[in-house]
Amino acid sequence: MLEIKGLSKSFGGIHAVSNCSLGLKDYVITGLIGPNGSGKTTLFNLITGSIPPDKGEIYFKGNRIDGHLPYKVAQHGIIRTFQLTRIFPKMTVLENMLLAPLHQTGEILWSLWVKRRRIRDEEKAYRERALGLIETVGLSHLKDQFAENLSYGQQKLLELGRAFMADPKMILLDEPTAGINPSLIRKIMKLILKMKESGKVFFIIEHNMGVIIELCDWVFVLDNGEKIAEGKPKEIQNDPRVIEAYLGV
Amino acid sequence: MDFLFQSILNGILAGCIYALFAMGLTLIYGVLNFVNFAHGELIMWGAYFLYFLMGKPFGLPLPIALIPALFLTILLGIGMDRFVFKPLRTANRLTLLIAALGLSFLLRNGAQFLWGAELRTYGFEIKRGLRILGISITLNQVAIILTSIVCIVFVYLLFHRSRLGKSMRAVSDNLELARVVGIDSKHAIQFAWVIASVLAGVGGILLALDTNLQPGMGLINLVKAFAATLLGGVGNIWGALLGGIVIGLAENLGVLVISPGYKDAIAFGIMVLMLLIRPSALLGRQE
Amino acid sequence: MDLFLHLCVMIIIYIIFAMSLNLEVGYTGLFNFGHVAFFGIGAYTSALLTLQQVPFELSLFIALAMAGLWGFLLSIPSLRLRGDYFGIVTLGFGEIIRMVFQNEVWLTRGPMGLPGIPKPILFSYRFATLPQYLLLTLGFAALTFLILRIILRSPFGRVLRAIREDEVAAEALGKNVFFFRIKSFVIGSLFAGLAGTLWGHYTTFISPGDFTLLETILVLLIVVLGGKGTEWGPVLGAFVLIFFQESLRFLRLPAEWTRYLAPLQQMIFGGLLIVLMIFRPEGLLKEKGRGSNAGN
Repeated sequence: MLEIKGLSKSFGGIHAVSNCSLGLKDYVITGLIGPNGSGKTTLFNLITGSIPPDKGEIYFKGNRIDGHLPYKVAQHGIIRTFQLTRIFPKMTVLENMLLAPLHQTGEILWSLWVKRRRIRDEEKAYRERALGLIETVGLSHLKDQFAENLSYGQQKLLELGRAFMADPKMILLDEPTAGINPSLIRKIMKLILKMKESGKVFFIIEHNMGVIIELCDWVFVLDNGEKIAEGKPKEIQNDPRVIEAYLGV
Repeated sequence: MDFLFQSILNGILAGCIYALFAMGLTLIYGVLNFVNFAHGELIMWGAYFLYFLMGKPFGLPLPIALIPALFLTILLGIGMDRFVFKPLRTANRLTLLIAALGLSFLLRNGAQFLWGAELRTYGFEIKRGLRILGISITLNQVAIILTSIVCIVFVYLLFHRSRLGKSMRAVSDNLELARVVGIDSKHAIQFAWVIASVLAGVGGILLALDTNLQPGMGLINLVKAFAATLLGGVGNIWGALLGGIVIGLAENLGVLVISPGYKDAIAFGIMVLMLLIRPSALLGRQE
Repeated sequence: MDLFLHLCVMIIIYIIFAMSLNLEVGYTGLFNFGHVAFFGIGAYTSALLTLQQVPFELSLFIALAMAGLWGFLLSIPSLRLRGDYFGIVTLGFGEIIRMVFQNEVWLTRGPMGLPGIPKPILFSYRFATLPQYLLLTLGFAALTFLILRIILRSPFGRVLRAIREDEVAAEALGKNVFFFRIKSFVIGSLFAGLAGTLWGHYTTFISPGDFTLLETILVLLIVVLGGKGTEWGPVLGAFVLIFFQESLRFLRLPAEWTRYLAPLQQMIFGGLLIVLMIFRPEGLLKEKGRGSNAGN
């Protein structure tokens, strides 16, 4: 589903990502690990189009997407979450969710006058689905609250729910369990597994090895912008190169 | 041909003044990370403070009135920060800018209230200048160039060679971190305002010496200062100088071809041109 | 009675003007500090056309188109900039447009202004008297309010607010932030042009001095005082401020005082903006949405 070939990006003299090549298959949860500063979030940013690569190609379902603007990448079906949650503060939980679906007829100015029935029907359908997802992530009692009033953990759930609402083909999660208490972590993992069943592909950056081992079918390891290892979680755990990277020199 | 050289000289002259404006603006931007929409009024009030001290009842001659005038400008700058910008340090950007705009409007009308909307000058006769290589340059203009150079060199030394300069740069990089590490951000910020106010005041006085004073002069010079900043790269002191000179030259050479009524619009036009060519340095995301 | 009607007309015109700015600043989060430019473009375009015997229906249409067009032209190079920079560019644009009105004497008669702007004739009905004009403006204001309400309550409006809140997140959800902003800015400029047109035909005489920073500050103050990002905020703000401004005009004060009164009043506006931003940036009417903390 996702093919990355020879991707490189430097900032000033720092090689954030060096000649990185990897591939994600369908029906798989893939993990991305590595010490701090190894280029994981940069890689995500390159995939989603927040920054353009210096070299290399990115293919999604056969289409080339490197260098595309973020909104175009999202329209291909790639949705991401952020390390520091980016919810829309002065909008309600429900509204946050309703923003997620792509290609809404009601977002086109012209349609507001000529396609009113269609918009109304779409809104109804979206609303139903949103309420269902809000229920799934357990935020029903907060659906009319401004998102800024939610706790950190609740915001993470909202961001996750919103990503599901967008009905993407691939979801990039940037440290979904950072700063979360253990019971919430379990909950998030269950949600991810459930979504995997409906065919969604996940690419997850994580520091929590427990989560990686339980969730991921395959793991890539970055260090200093380079891919140093890949494999099943158990193999990676015992790979000497990986251990050395984390212990650092 | 002489006409051309004269225009070039005038352009460099104006450019030095704009450079002072741009340096002050970029200094505050660098340390506090916002464009001070009231910077133009700091410039304007600097000029008016001198006018005030030179007139009745003080009647001080220019060299003597200069220091207190700049001192008052510094008070104004620090006052701006203390009463308007400091309470809004953590507010969102729109709120801060609206307040700055309101402040600019307040100050502009304050000047009009006190001195009226008519054009005023410092009252010096237009002396015949020296003729060098076929172009005329007055003593005033020599003073302008020298003063600007002195200011520019001073700011450069301050910013890059002194401890205070280092702390200002640290604060501009990361306010929180600077605080944590113990750099006295409060003093650094205050000092930035002092320098910015002096630059604005000197620039305003030089401009008024070369042209005239009126309460509305702040706004258009803010735009020019900003255009110069943009040209030279935001936060870049030398860039501010370069940008200022380019704008000054463009203005004075430009009026040879377009209507003088649009002289002030040239800076804006340059700004738009730059945006169309779009150097990526300008494309920042909103925070 | 005439004073009362005059007040109403002015308030309603400014309601339209403020609603247009509210769309840009309040809902989309654009830092437009040059809104008066489009007010002026609308006024001058319609005035010039109707003075040439062009029927009002057409003049109005062209005036709106011009305002919207210039909004489009301005936004293309500048809407990708971060807030501060966009603010300065729009501020500068406001000044430049005023310069154009002043300098292009062959077109606008420069400082001498355009007198004798005819009263509008819409669908063969002439809106000449004060009550008739009030009806006209009321009609347009209601229309504006309804159109904007449809836009703001739609999914389109939802995206605008999302862009205001966090443009990075909006972009990551597949919204073309740049296009949405442009559309918002053009619509805002268009309605500002409408307000300007109505104003020009009301006062029958316009000159460059009517389109200065003061108007921008005034409409900005109306929007933030009333409560930006709310539907009724601009209405409330216009009532309060225009009432204040116009009543001062009608106090029969000695002529020498006006020299001081105008800048003083404007100082109050500036000061009010500052105080408002420091102590109550949301304005009078807050945006809807539970204010309490949910906790865990």
